[in-house]
Amino acid sequence: MKRLKPLLTFLAVVLTAPHALALDAPKGPVILTVRGTLATPNVDGTAQFDLAMLEKLAGRKVVTETPWTEGKTEFSGPLLRAILEAAGAKGKTLLVRAINDYFAEVPMEDATALQTILASRMNGKVMSVRDKGPLFLIYPFDLDPKLYNEKYFSRSVWQIKEIEVKS
Amino acid sequence: MTSKTPFGGDEIRKASRTTAAIQVFSVFLLAILVSVYVDISRRQSDLRDAVRENAMWSVYQFNREAHDLHHRLELMISSGRTDRASLEELSTRYDVVYSRMKILRETKFEQNFLSDPAVIEQVDKIQRLIFNNAPIFDAILAGEEISQASLTSLDYELAILSRETADLLVYTNTTISAERAEGRIELESLQRKSMGLIGLLVLSVVLLIFTLQRQLKGVQAAGVSLEAMADKLTVSYQAAEAGNRAKSQFMATMGHEIRTPLNAILGMVELLELTRLSPESAAHVRTIRRSGEALLDIINEILDYAKIEHGKLELEQRSVDLLTLAETSAEMMRGRATEAGNRIVVDLPYRWRARYVLSDPTRLRQVILNLMSNAVKFTAQGTVTLRLRQFRAHSSLWLRIEVQDSGIGIGEEGKEKLFRPFSQVDASISRKYGGTGLGLTICKEIIDRFGGRIGVDSVTGQGSTFWFEIPVEAAAAPHLEVALQQSKVLADLPKLKILVAEDNKVNQQVILGYLKHLKQTVVMADNGEIALERARAEAFDLILMDMQMPVMDGIEATTRLRASGGASADTPIIALTANASEEDRQRCMDAGMAGFQAKPISIAMLHRLISDVELHPARGQAAEPDAAVATVVPTVPAAAPQATETSPPAAVSVAARTEKLDALAARRQEIADILGPEAFDELMESFFDDAVELLDNLRREMSNGQPDRLDKLLHNLKGSAANVGLADIAEKSQALRQTTPTLKDIEMLSKDIDAAKQSMAA
Repeated sequence: MKRLKPLLTFLAVVLTAPHALALDAPKGPVILTVRGTLATPNVDGTAQFDLAMLEKLAGRKVVTETPWTEGKTEFSGPLLRAILEAAGAKGKTLLVRAINDYFAEVPMEDATALQTILASRMNGKVMSVRDKGPLFLIYPFDLDPKLYNEKYFSRSVWQIKEIEVKS
Repeated sequence: MTSKTPFGGDEIRKASRTTAAIQVFSVFLLAILVSVYVDISRRQSDLRDAVRENAMWSVYQFNREAHDLHHRLELMISSGRTDRASLEELSTRYDVVYSRMKILRETKFEQNFLSDPAVIEQVDKIQRLIFNNAPIFDAILAGEEISQASLTSLDYELAILSRETADLLVYTNTTISAERAEGRIELESLQRKSMGLIGLLVLSVVLLIFTLQRQLKGVQAAGVSLEAMADKLTVSYQAAEAGNRAKSQFMATMGHEIRTPLNAILGMVELLELTRLSPESAAHVRTIRRSGEALLDIINEILDYAKIEHGKLELEQRSVDLLTLAETSAEMMRGRATEAGNRIVVDLPYRWRARYVLSDPTRLRQVILNLMSNAVKFTAQGTVTLRLRQFRAHSSLWLRIEVQDSGIGIGEEGKEKLFRPFSQVDASISRKYGGTGLGLTICKEIIDRFGGRIGVDSVTGQGSTFWFEIPVEAAAAPHLEVALQQSKVLADLPKLKILVAEDNKVNQQVILGYLKHLKQTVVMADNGEIALERARAEAFDLILMDMQMPVMDGIEATTRLRASGGASADTPIIALTANASEEDRQRCMDAGMAGFQAKPISIAMLHRLISDVELHPARGQAAEPDAAVATVVPTVPAAAPQATETSPPAAVSVAARTEKLDALAARRQEIADILGPEAFDELMESFFDDAVELLDNLRREMSNGQPDRLDKLLHNLKGSAANVGLADIAEKSQALRQTTPTLKDIEMLSKDIDAAKQSMAA
């Protein structure tokens, strides 16, 4: 056992490495706060992100129609999955909350199994609050047309300010 | 058929018309229903295509945000907390309201509430309110100081906004409710329409089922009545058929009954003609003969027709020499033609495609003779031409035979009647020329059976040409000897007066038939004693003497005749026998017979015998009896008695046996050919009658225990069976002679004879 100890320590370090790299503190205005059981919080047990931090994360571009926009619109921003990973969040349900305290329950699978993004830009421009900003939960309607229905519309929260991860 | 069917055809037709109408109606309804459903589903798919935001929810949110914004401002003013953070928070809330406004403008809603002018006006009003207040919030974001007065003024403005959005909520609700109600009404009306259609459809289907049921019932009833009718028809048909059969049977019997005495009359007349008669008597006798012959023709035609009607007409396939057929047919008609002052011309092809063809010579000759006898009958001092032609058509060889006369001819309407049964061209014809009117019908039936055509080309007063065409197959030329014999049959044969002493009725008929065919005059004697009497009284050119006869056998009769010196004391006598032993032969010679002939007799043998008599007319000239015997070569080799008599059956090889069976079949054919089918039938009948008698005698002798007489009876039976070509019966009879027959053997033989009779009748 004695001989194994250094190895185990090494493995523990290696395996926990991503979590060990704690989230940087936000430098600009915070636009998203993730709450809940987090492995890598950065401010007071929460994970707070500014626009630059979010746009550094893995993301994608979606070109789709939505009921709330005219014609085809391009949305881009980090994958919901990437944000939750960056925060080291674990849980089953996400409470996605808007500025006006509107919220929707989003199952964790929507983040893990689908290429769901938190769009920070619409047609390449940062979204203002007046224009459904700062963040807009966009499901991959382009990849799976079956998602295009009221069930997912009600989860498509805009003016997002906070995600609460519940187990 | 007095009962009317419960469901007549009218009923069924009416029901089927109704059914058709309902079917059309149902299809029409179905089409409408389909169009309604297409409409409904298009509406539904429109909904599905444009999944949209809920208008009511958005307007409600808008109102709530506006109200919330106003509420926050009031709280700020009343609490006096107008710090930077609160102001910025307020500004964010304004942005939310602003975004809500935009959403109202841009979003695609389920309910088209923005089409209502009142709603549009309200939205425009609200938008102006929101845009008007934008500067103050822009100022907050820019970090400028905000005066209390501006806040108060904002409070006033936001109160209006809150109220106006509340109004919008009401308007929207009203609009949407109205729209929903309208949609529902429309949907309900669609549903009512489709329900109505479905109801009608169900009704029409029910009606359809009802009428179909009625129709089915009608059809069933009709089926039942049809079945009953068919049963009745079957019964009637069977009754009619039975009646017809009885009629045919009656005709056959009557024909037979008439023909037998008629044959006797004709035979006697023929003999009478040979005697010296006064011219007056001779004329009378001639009339009797002609009338008799005419009567015989008529009876033969009726019998033939009965047979055809019975479907008993069967054709055989044998090699036929067309040249001989034409010549013999012409020859047979020549006598009658000459009487009417007519000339017969035979017109044969310059070059034959096939002189020998496979066909039925008997039937072919019958048709030709019929046509020719008609031609002769209706022509006086003219020419009757028999013309044979062959041609190829439809990849087969056809034989065309024409009988052309220069007689009275037939008009158009007469031609149509010609080939119908019992019809003649007109009633006067039958009065003037006689006839049954069956001849051409029979010809037509026969030619139909050949698969050919028969017709007539005629112009009234200019003669007629009756023709027929049948498909034939070329055949190989038959054996040279047979061909020669056949072609010589009627040629250059002297007309002799021949006495035949023969006790067996069947044999009598065969010999009689053959000799008549050879145009000989025949007197038949049942036994030696009668023969002796006749021979003493009349001069014969030839005597054929059976060896074994009751009362007086052939040897004794010959001896006595030679001794007595009667009218025929020097006439050559030929022994007819189945016993061909050297001893018998010697006895014949010793008794003074000129020749020795093995039985059964063939036409070729008789031909030869008659020819020989011409060559050696006197008894003394037949000095080489051995040579005479040697020249008598049976045409049917295996029928030679030596093979049958001296070899035990076990020793007869299979090949020889088959050959013998074939030979006997050939003999039967020969008899049928020469005597004609009717005479052949009669002959068979006599044979079977004789056989019954012989079998009875056999049984009696068995019980009396007289085996030596058994042999005689079996010999007799064998002789007649061989004579008529019943090979197996001849053979079995012969086999019984080798053993001591038991009663069981006789019964077996009796059964075989019955079986043969059945197969003949079939």
